[in-house]
Amino acid sequence: MRITIFGMVMSLLLIAAVACSGHSDAPSQDTAPPTSTPPAARATQPAIAPDLKDSQYNEPVAGSGGPQQGGIFNTLWSDPPTLDPHLVTDGTSYGIVIEVFSGLVRLGTNPSNPFEPDLAESWQVLEDGTVYEFKLRNDLKFSNGDPVTAQDFKWSLERAAHPDTSSTVAEEFLGDIVGIHDIVEGNATNAEGIEVVDERTLRLTIDAPKAYFIAKLTYPTAFVLNRNNLESMGRDWVDEPVSTGPFTLKEYRIGQRIRLARNDNFWDRPAYLDEVVFNLAGGVAMAMYENDEIDVTGVGLADLERVQDPTEELNKDLVEVPPNFAVSYVGFNINEAPFDDANFRRALNHAVDKQLIADQVFSNLVKPAYGIIPPGFPGFSADIQGLEFDPDLAQDLLAQSAYADAGSRPRIVLTVPGTGGSPGLTTEVVADMWRQNLGIEIEIQQVEWATYIQDLHRGRLQAWSGLSWQADYPDPQTFIDVLFRSTSAINYGGYNNQEVDDFVVAAQTEQDATKRVQYYNDAEQIVVSDAAWLPLWWGVDSKALIKPWVQDYTFSSLTVSKFKDVWLDK
Amino acid sequence: MTSIADIEATELDQIKPKGFWRGVWSRFRKRRLAFSGLIIITFIYMLGILAPVIQTHDYRETDLRNTQQGPSAEHWLGTDRAGRDLYTRVVWGIQTTVIITVTSFITGSLLLGVSIGLVAGYFRGWIDAVIMRVGEVISVFPDILLIILLAATLRPRIVEFARNIEDSTGISGLVSSGIVDYFVIGVALLPLSWFGMMRLVRGQVLVMREAEYVEAARAMGTSTPRILFRHILPNVVSPVIVSVSFGIGAIALSEVVLSFFGLGVQPPRPSLGVMIGDVTARGGASVSVLRDHPEQLLSPIIVVWLLIFCWNIVGDALNDVLNPRAR
Amino acid sequence: MLAYIVRRLLWTPVLLALAAFFVFMMGTWAPGDPAELRLGNRATPERIERERERLGLDDPFPVRYVLYVADALRGDFGESYHYQGKPVLEIIAPKLWVSLQLNLAALIVAVAVGLPLGFYAAKKQGTGKDPAIVITMLILYAMPVFFTAPFLILFFAVNLHWVPAAGWGGFFSSQIVLPALTIGIPGAAVFVRHMRASTLEVIGQEYVRTARAKGMSNFVVNYRHVARNALLPILTIMGFTLAGMFGGSLIVELIYGIPGAGRLSLDAIFQRDFPVLTAFVLLGAAMLVLANLLIDIAYTIVDPRIRLQ
Repeated sequence: MRITIFGMVMSLLLIAAVACSGHSDAPSQDTAPPTSTPPAARATQPAIAPDLKDSQYNEPVAGSGGPQQGGIFNTLWSDPPTLDPHLVTDGTSYGIVIEVFSGLVRLGTNPSNPFEPDLAESWQVLEDGTVYEFKLRNDLKFSNGDPVTAQDFKWSLERAAHPDTSSTVAEEFLGDIVGIHDIVEGNATNAEGIEVVDERTLRLTIDAPKAYFIAKLTYPTAFVLNRNNLESMGRDWVDEPVSTGPFTLKEYRIGQRIRLARNDNFWDRPAYLDEVVFNLAGGVAMAMYENDEIDVTGVGLADLERVQDPTEELNKDLVEVPPNFAVSYVGFNINEAPFDDANFRRALNHAVDKQLIADQVFSNLVKPAYGIIPPGFPGFSADIQGLEFDPDLAQDLLAQSAYADAGSRPRIVLTVPGTGGSPGLTTEVVADMWRQNLGIEIEIQQVEWATYIQDLHRGRLQAWSGLSWQADYPDPQTFIDVLFRSTSAINYGGYNNQEVDDFVVAAQTEQDATKRVQYYNDAEQIVVSDAAWLPLWWGVDSKALIKPWVQDYTFSSLTVSKFKDVWLDK
Repeated sequence: MTSIADIEATELDQIKPKGFWRGVWSRFRKRRLAFSGLIIITFIYMLGILAPVIQTHDYRETDLRNTQQGPSAEHWLGTDRAGRDLYTRVVWGIQTTVIITVTSFITGSLLLGVSIGLVAGYFRGWIDAVIMRVGEVISVFPDILLIILLAATLRPRIVEFARNIEDSTGISGLVSSGIVDYFVIGVALLPLSWFGMMRLVRGQVLVMREAEYVEAARAMGTSTPRILFRHILPNVVSPVIVSVSFGIGAIALSEVVLSFFGLGVQPPRPSLGVMIGDVTARGGASVSVLRDHPEQLLSPIIVVWLLIFCWNIVGDALNDVLNPRAR
Repeated sequence: MLAYIVRRLLWTPVLLALAAFFVFMMGTWAPGDPAELRLGNRATPERIERERERLGLDDPFPVRYVLYVADALRGDFGESYHYQGKPVLEIIAPKLWVSLQLNLAALIVAVAVGLPLGFYAAKKQGTGKDPAIVITMLILYAMPVFFTAPFLILFFAVNLHWVPAAGWGGFFSSQIVLPALTIGIPGAAVFVRHMRASTLEVIGQEYVRTARAKGMSNFVVNYRHVARNALLPILTIMGFTLAGMFGGSLIVELIYGIPGAGRLSLDAIFQRDFPVLTAFVLLGAAMLVLANLLIDIAYTIVDPRIRLQ
């Protein structure tokens, strides 16, 4: 589910991204503006991407015997804007919070059924899908030994929604629960949709049957907190939080490091590791890895050649990190000349040789995108007819467009987020292909992230690049509906097509899964043929290095709590 | 750390005789190291100025079938990840450096620094006080941060403004030609360039205005501008030259840092800082690039290195030659 | 002198207020909205508006400025926009401490290398060693950190495994070695230069000649008279070096992954975290002013001929 709330992956290694490619298994979903160590960012330099399908990385176990207890796992991370689960909106915070806190359900790595029971041992859907009844596990405890009850959940959910909490996502993730909206608006403190049936039974009533309500509950906004902890410590509670996840927060020094220690009161088998240390200050990831300072790292383009060389020592540590579900693109403002002409947009699409870019610039770490929904993602269709590279067709289309004549063409400015990373390279290659194949000259404008995001929201950009969209949850809705429906706030290009709108509305209520996917694919085909975007590539494969002694480390496409299973064989 | 240039304000002798500059030049020429430094600087600057002539490719031209090549007859310094010719990008990058150093030297050091320094030193009183206080406020900001802050916040406004001008007047290419970039960088670098120069000139003028010949000129009813420009200005030339030659290295480096962070010139126009920032992915890949494709990192870096080194030795020598007393 | 000090001290708050005003102005004028940056791209305009209100961004600029100054006078520098609800000082203080230690380490390197070398060069004036040292140091001084840092990491960390490649473990950890060298070596060039110059100057002074004439041993003359007197101006440089460290080690902090003040303030600029930035500038300015003052005073004490006006 929503790995990143914004779902946007900046295509850059943010500034301090000293970690070029980054981060270990970095939150490849970092949305954050130049935060200190931007992990992530992978549109232009896909570093490492998590995966759904190949969930576990199993090293041939050296020695014998089962998992060993103890040890410290070191990894690079960037500074999380918050550790309060209810406030989390970004991948960086998310990745840490889900190791410390937990809720009723969690994301797992099984693609066919990604929702695993966590603090709830089971749940039932009643009343045609509007009532969810959760049965909590027996003898649940907070990290300090306090029992966890249904009452704690009710209090936590209401706290998340309370205006004083100032969560920016409570409405989005919990708003389906009857009564939450009023709390968010400040008109109530009690949500009638949250019922404590008994100590171990919680009943949530939502306003309409919604297939992926359960998915929303995996987000930290729905995690349980300890009331006493919050009320006794006030604002500082998050420095010494009482939690229910596999780890507890042992130390947090802003910008320096986070240390998590094993939670012995975790409901399941306690973690093997004594500690997980997230180094927040960045550094040259590859050098740190080679020097045994961190246990896992993504492989950036600059290192790819070397680590793929079989004679290299590092080659033994190389692992494939299958797909992250993201699509990078060049966005067009459909309402502004010259992008108001579909033929012009198509010409731009046909003029870019994505395969060549993927081969040569990205060493095949990315896969050229001819559709929107990434391969392997629910709803992906191989039948989508993309706009393939065809310079002659591109020129014909340009000739047919209203802007065939350079003199009639307004100035074209393509904006990229400039601070941090080097998205410039991709953009420059694309711009050069337009120039060579169509004779279209554009201006590239780099602005820093703060300006970029503001202009993007305000619809002030004529064309933009350097962004990629990453799946929030395993459902095609997160791509098609969210990005191209005319009323969607994320539809920055102002794309407006009645047919597409009709399809996504129909899909919303369609109960038949196959039909529903078909609706999305039909809409996707229209979007692609219409050249609403220039899709560039899907972040498919990437590579990572992991130390041979690290066992059972999960690379997953959607960020899941993973350190509980990791053990060190050394 | 502090600047290597630590120029003591020296009281200067009276107006220099005609042969003064010739003497300076011949003394300078005898310093072989500094003289070769000057030749290297001239050579590098010529590369930049002649970039359009001596380029072997178009700096925008990508060639995805020839990426990351080592040096060859076709590509003298090799190619980058997009297959662009490194040599061409370096000479164009030098051009950026040339433009930035020259413009901010003219605007920051000469126009602002010298003229304000003259005014402050000559008139003293509240004008001087105000100028000095403003300068102090600016100088309490850490240099590089102030530059980054200015570049980050000013650029969008200035670009927007320039585009409006383009739209309303029909002139095109104001932004795409890079003029706006140079302007933004120039403005951002102002705090770095003007205050030191201004303080230096002011100090000189404070001494000079009490000199007998200036008193005499004043008594004879010579107008203030004439005193300033005729009698005082020529005497601050030497320290100004010394200070400029030290300062230019710092300006060149600041542009590199700005562009490294993506706040300098806009792509696809190259700058040495952009090249360094690009290949190292803002630092993170620097170790890998240095190991696997050193030419990509070293080509721009060596130019920066040489420039700063040469400006320093030239400044050093000028300091000695122009102020024979101060050793 | 007292009058001078009082005047300087009285001016300082005005200076700080003006500096804060400047940052505020930039903050108001800069494109980019802290509320929007915090909320991300799914936030509705209403939600952003509410957030702006909560952060107090909707008040007119002069009002916010006055409120800020009033709070700052009570030692309250507000809360960070980016780190949700964290008091600014809590964020800044540890970073400054880190930068201070790093710069101190670098200064130690610079002094330890620079002073003896400068002294040695001066004593060897006229031989080939003197120019060799001077030129080498100039080359090192001009070496861009973009090269120094990766080079040192590659050589000492990746190849030799002597020291860690990055990270921060405090003043006494091995992680400080490479960054301290990276900043300290060019810094050493400054000390070589000044040490050499002042040594040369002192060597020519009469009291040194007198001392020699009196038959004092070479050693005593060298170390007691020459070196000691040459050190005075050096102290000034050290003072400024430490005071000027704010932001000075930005790129070094980036490449070595050091959670210092340079990084923090850079992030604050990009995140439009103006409370952090303002407080940072204020603290930096205050330190610089203080250092200046102390140096001035130290001078009058050391050399009574200097009078402050």
